[in-house]
Amino acid sequence: MKIKFTYLFIFGLLFISAINSFKKSDNIDNFQLLTTETEFVADTKIELNFSSINEKLPKLYLSNSYGTTILKPNLLNGVLNFQLPESISKKTGIVTWKLLLDTVKLTGSFNINPKQEVSTLETYIGPPSIVAGGTDFSMIVIIPTDLFDNPLLDNTEVNVRHLFLKDLSNKAHFTKNRFAYQNIYSPALSGRILVSSESLNKNSKEYDVNVLPAIPNDFTISYKRNHAFADGNQVTSFFTSTIKDQYGNIVSDGTYVEYFIRTDSNVILKTSGTTIRGVATAKMIHPDHEENWIVKAFIEGMAESNVLELMYEPVISDFEISFSENKRIITIGPLKSFMSQLIPDGIEVKISIYQNDSKMSTITKSSFEGFAIFKLNANTFPNDTYTLKIEAVGIEKTFRNLKLW
Amino acid sequence: MYKTNKYLVTALLIGLVFHGTSMFFTLESTYDALIHLFFGNHYAESWFEPWNFKWYTGFSVMGYPPLVHQAIALLSFIGGLKFGLFTVGFIGVILFITGVYRFSALLTGNKTVAGYASILAVFSSSFLETFHLFGQLPSIIGVSVLLHALPEIYLWIKTAKYRYLCTSLSLIAVTVTSHHVTPIFGMVFFIFPLIGMTIMDVSREKVGSMKAITFKIFLGTFLKLLKRIISFGLFSLVIIVGSILPYWINSKNNPITQVPIPHGSRDNFLEITSSGLVFFLIPWGVLLILIPYIFYRYFSKRYLFFGLSITLLTILGTGGTTPIPRWILGETAFNILTLDRFTLWASILSLPLFGEFVYRFVNGDLKTLIQTKFGTIYYRLIGGILAGLFIFMTIFTMSLGYFRPSQPQKLKMLPIINFLNQDQHDQWRYMTLGFGDQMAWLSAQTNALSIDGNYHSARRLPELTTRPIERLENSKFKGLEGIGSLQQFLTIPEKYNLKYIFSNDKFYDPILFFSGWQRLQQLENGVQVWEKLNVPPIPAILPKDDVPKWQKILWGTIPFLAVIIAFILNLNLLWFRTLKLIPDYLNFQESYSKFSNRILKVTHLWSIGLLIFVIYGIYNFYIKNYSHHSPENAIMAYYNALDFKEYEKAYELINPQSNLSLAQYMLEISVTDGLMSSYAKLDVIESFVTSQSDSLASVKVNTKWITPLEKIIKTDYKSLVKLNGKWYIQPEDLDLDLPPDQLYSSNQTNYFNQGRRRITTEQTYHEDILKQPVLEILSAKLVKYDNSYALIGEVQNIDNVPADVVLKGTLFNNENKELATYNAKYHIKHKLMPKEVSSFKINFEGIAWSKTQDSIPKTFNPDEFTPVEFDQQPTKFNLHVAGNVSGSDLYKDITLSNLNISSLSIKGKLFNSGLEEITIPQLLISYYDENKNLVWVDHQFIEEGIRQQRQIAFEYFLLNKDRILVISDDLTNCFVNGLPNESISNKLVPTRIINQTHAVLQPISHIEYKFIKIELNSYIGNPN
Repeated sequence: MKIKFTYLFIFGLLFISAINSFKKSDNIDNFQLLTTETEFVADTKIELNFSSINEKLPKLYLSNSYGTTILKPNLLNGVLNFQLPESISKKTGIVTWKLLLDTVKLTGSFNINPKQEVSTLETYIGPPSIVAGGTDFSMIVIIPTDLFDNPLLDNTEVNVRHLFLKDLSNKAHFTKNRFAYQNIYSPALSGRILVSSESLNKNSKEYDVNVLPAIPNDFTISYKRNHAFADGNQVTSFFTSTIKDQYGNIVSDGTYVEYFIRTDSNVILKTSGTTIRGVATAKMIHPDHEENWIVKAFIEGMAESNVLELMYEPVISDFEISFSENKRIITIGPLKSFMSQLIPDGIEVKISIYQNDSKMSTITKSSFEGFAIFKLNANTFPNDTYTLKIEAVGIEKTFRNLKLW
Repeated sequence: MYKTNKYLVTALLIGLVFHGTSMFFTLESTYDALIHLFFGNHYAESWFEPWNFKWYTGFSVMGYPPLVHQAIALLSFIGGLKFGLFTVGFIGVILFITGVYRFSALLTGNKTVAGYASILAVFSSSFLETFHLFGQLPSIIGVSVLLHALPEIYLWIKTAKYRYLCTSLSLIAVTVTSHHVTPIFGMVFFIFPLIGMTIMDVSREKVGSMKAITFKIFLGTFLKLLKRIISFGLFSLVIIVGSILPYWINSKNNPITQVPIPHGSRDNFLEITSSGLVFFLIPWGVLLILIPYIFYRYFSKRYLFFGLSITLLTILGTGGTTPIPRWILGETAFNILTLDRFTLWASILSLPLFGEFVYRFVNGDLKTLIQTKFGTIYYRLIGGILAGLFIFMTIFTMSLGYFRPSQPQKLKMLPIINFLNQDQHDQWRYMTLGFGDQMAWLSAQTNALSIDGNYHSARRLPELTTRPIERLENSKFKGLEGIGSLQQFLTIPEKYNLKYIFSNDKFYDPILFFSGWQRLQQLENGVQVWEKLNVPPIPAILPKDDVPKWQKILWGTIPFLAVIIAFILNLNLLWFRTLKLIPDYLNFQESYSKFSNRILKVTHLWSIGLLIFVIYGIYNFYIKNYSHHSPENAIMAYYNALDFKEYEKAYELINPQSNLSLAQYMLEISVTDGLMSSYAKLDVIESFVTSQSDSLASVKVNTKWITPLEKIIKTDYKSLVKLNGKWYIQPEDLDLDLPPDQLYSSNQTNYFNQGRRRITTEQTYHEDILKQPVLEILSAKLVKYDNSYALIGEVQNIDNVPADVVLKGTLFNNENKELATYNAKYHIKHKLMPKEVSSFKINFEGIAWSKTQDSIPKTFNPDEFTPVEFDQQPTKFNLHVAGNVSGSDLYKDITLSNLNISSLSIKGKLFNSGLEEITIPQLLISYYDENKNLVWVDHQFIEEGIRQQRQIAFEYFLLNKDRILVISDDLTNCFVNGLPNESISNKLVPTRIINQTHAVLQPISHIEYKFIKIELNSYIGNPN
């Protein structure tokens, strides 16, 4: 009983589907695709024809990867004719179509292929600068395209040429997925690689990739100064040797080199320079007292220099101090330098005033024509006894229990 | 028979000539006019679309009644925006003069008196101030139309003719569409007393004389008229709400939840005398003398309610001088309303009586009284004095804007507009600095969007609304709040797509530079363009708060409909009235037969009192300002002169016996550049005389200076001498350092990025885009100190070209939830040469005071820092570094030439070894522990600049922090230009010598930190 019912059910289904398919075929008979081609070439005239029995004028729905449109037919002698617009016929790729009927679908698709003629070579190259030494590279990507900006078919030959110094190389590639590419590895030397490409006798314009020097190697430093005296005025210049990378390329202009100067008192002074043709020049003012300098330069994490030792001799071994009668005007000087000349203006002279061993204030003045003159104001320092400490060019002198009035 | 009122015609003619010519020189430099112009431009561009993208991050123009703006917009179609503005100004003048005339006629019932009042109104100092100094066009038009409405209201209540109801309501509608506050307060201060007066008049008609009116009669009349009053009240309420309904909906949806912006009208006028001048003395002007008369008259029976009104207005207008306005209005209203409008209304209320007084003085009973009592000469004399004072106040008010300009010099906008239109510069937001209200004029002319704006009620960003600043543009005048707000925008500009800043004020240059901005070019009008790299353009689609279409249509049509209806109705009536009818109120003329003797006496006494007050004020002013009077005065004057760069004035305070010539003094001043001398604004000065004898004084001067970067507190000791009874300051010693050479030469690598090589509008001409310089993060750590978190580390430019560095750090908790993100601000060298290293620190800054609005500190500190409040513990971080090729600000010739280390501080000297003058040197100080692990980064700006080949001394105090906790030093989430840091490092610097310069770290004797590293950065204010 159960089986019987199942048979009945299947039979019923078959019957229904037969009715359905009968109806469908009735409609399809009305419109049939006459065009047999499914491959076209871009920008040729493309038409789709359908046979038509009745007077209906269904519209055609067209879609490619750029967009979708709907066409109206022309009815000529019982043939529905659709002319594809340029916006579709110029672009390569699959075009699907659908005849818009009320009841059933009539669909299909065709292909538009590019003209195998190169109009432009769409080229991308990057990065525009790479580091010398063969590990860094720049990639060139070429898409040969036809007149309508359609990429050509795969396996189109593309030649990539590049010149570095005197070496010209030429390599053939075949497009895959519509493009060809090549990695251009950096040479050991810095300079400029000029790149171009060619496909089907069409040449690209010139592109370039700059090859920049790799990380610097160790270097040496030297110095230049006008004299070896610690006059706190002259300037000592430091120079590096020509800094190069491991391939012998001079490092890029502007490379930052930092000089560290360790002094006798274990403080670290700093100056810096940026390279020009591999030489970084840095300057430092002379100390104003006797000092030894140990100098070393670094390019952080990459390179360093030898150690340089400099000595600065004292300019003055002693200076005179005179007081006015009420001890309120203190004249320091003449401050004489290494040839007994008056020391250049601007040497710092410090005077610290103590009362009962506690510091009241420190006054700093710069020397003028060999002298520094201090005037102690009666309002700030009332009449009393004070201790004065006078400091200049690394020499310190103390006057205890001076009575100011 | 109707006679043309020659006084009114005279007033109109004089008014139009006087205001019409002078406004071309005043209106554009007022506070508000250009804002209204900008709104006008909005309506001209999109009449029905209330959303404006140009200011803030977009705001709705439904926050301000539209009539005046739409009028400007409509007129701009004829002759441009400014034509619209000035024409509306003309209309305002006409409306005001005629309004005062009609109001005075209503009040006094005397057309001659009303004519006098209208002439006086032309020169009334409060009107002059509102129009020529403040530029409050909507307010003026609003109040003028309200004055026109008053007679109609009177007639409606008195006669109950419906046409008066219609005219009065139509005028109320015009008032509310031009200014929303005016009819609301106008109800209270103008219409209610008017109703009271109407009841009085009706009662008087009933009983025959004013004296016979008792309270009972008054009440009876009131009840009789109640229906009319209530109907008027209800209808006007409907009109007020209905005609700007979108405004009310908008204010309900976007309530003003902002920190109140301080306004001078809320100051204590006795303390802040400048506010007292602008918001009390000027608007009252000559009326101050007449106050006894005005109050006497207004408290007569007929005007009793006006008396109450003017009393209230006068009190409210005194702002914060007494606590009464605050009680009356309540805290919120007090802080939102600008109280100067009350004084304006009080002075307008006084105008009819001023007219009356002058009428009585010129040819009435007062003239007779004075002449019989004091004689003709005295009469002429005080007539002259009164007229003189009146003219003086007029001229003084008009010239105030000339002598104390409220705006920077007028700028040519064309170069800026051209710049914004060039090269797609309008794809980013821009900001102006130091433009004043002219920024509105710029915004009106360009399509580019600004992050700033000039209508503070519409601010939306929490960075702005939580601070009492009107604009970022003038943030330096707003102290801490201003600069604090500004620096957030400068540090993370990519959040707002802010790329260009037009700076008309050198003051902001340092903060721009140290926040990572670079100078682009100086435009022809002297405006400096600053640019920030690595900022994405504004997205094509911006969010907006849309409103329903019916609101847009209502907003766009109602105001002009109201005007047209009011025009038709009133014009009709005007004809009618001119030809036939004498309005009812003209029946209540007074005869002016006997001027009260007592009130003349009181006015005399009052005037004497005022005179004494003025003389005392002038004397006080002299004592305070005579600079040689005392050592304190001399010091104060000297510092003020320096602050305003009035060097000749400062020189006059220098001891003339010190043999210092003016030329030498100027030379000494001019060679000093730096944060202190070029960018500091004196904030607070206190001087203490430490010792003083007859001819000698020592003064300790404590000064606080505002600079764009930080607050500087200085203590100077000055000596003064007294010569010929005048105090003088002893000059300071000069730095006498003399570099060894006369001529210096040096070589430098320069860079130039020419952008697009071919002139094209193509957005990304890919061949012309430079590779982003490769940077490497050498170390990065998340550290915690005092409950706040920071990212510290070191970054190196490992490329071959100089780089601009933008560092963005983000903190996460254990569940990888983002907690905070911020950029590096001052603690980094933003420009790195190839292979240069910079230490950095990112502070995670929150939006200041967003939670505790009442705890805004009163004192100024631009370096104020509000740490983000974390509700969860940050445990991880990521760090994005972006490099962009930059050829500017690459000056590196600054060296550390001397050091002296103690346990508390580091003293040292910096030497400028190059050929540019360093304006602001900066120290970046990294702290290391005993194992040479980086634990903290600090910085210090040096106040003095360094001239070429010279040294300056500095002192840096070592930090006294508790041990800093390193939470994470994991570099896995560090990215350079979007690529992982580690892979870049492995590829480009595979043989890196780790911690190579640790050998040259500076040892220090400190409990927590054993080593430091000092890096130097410099800002060049005037590159050669």
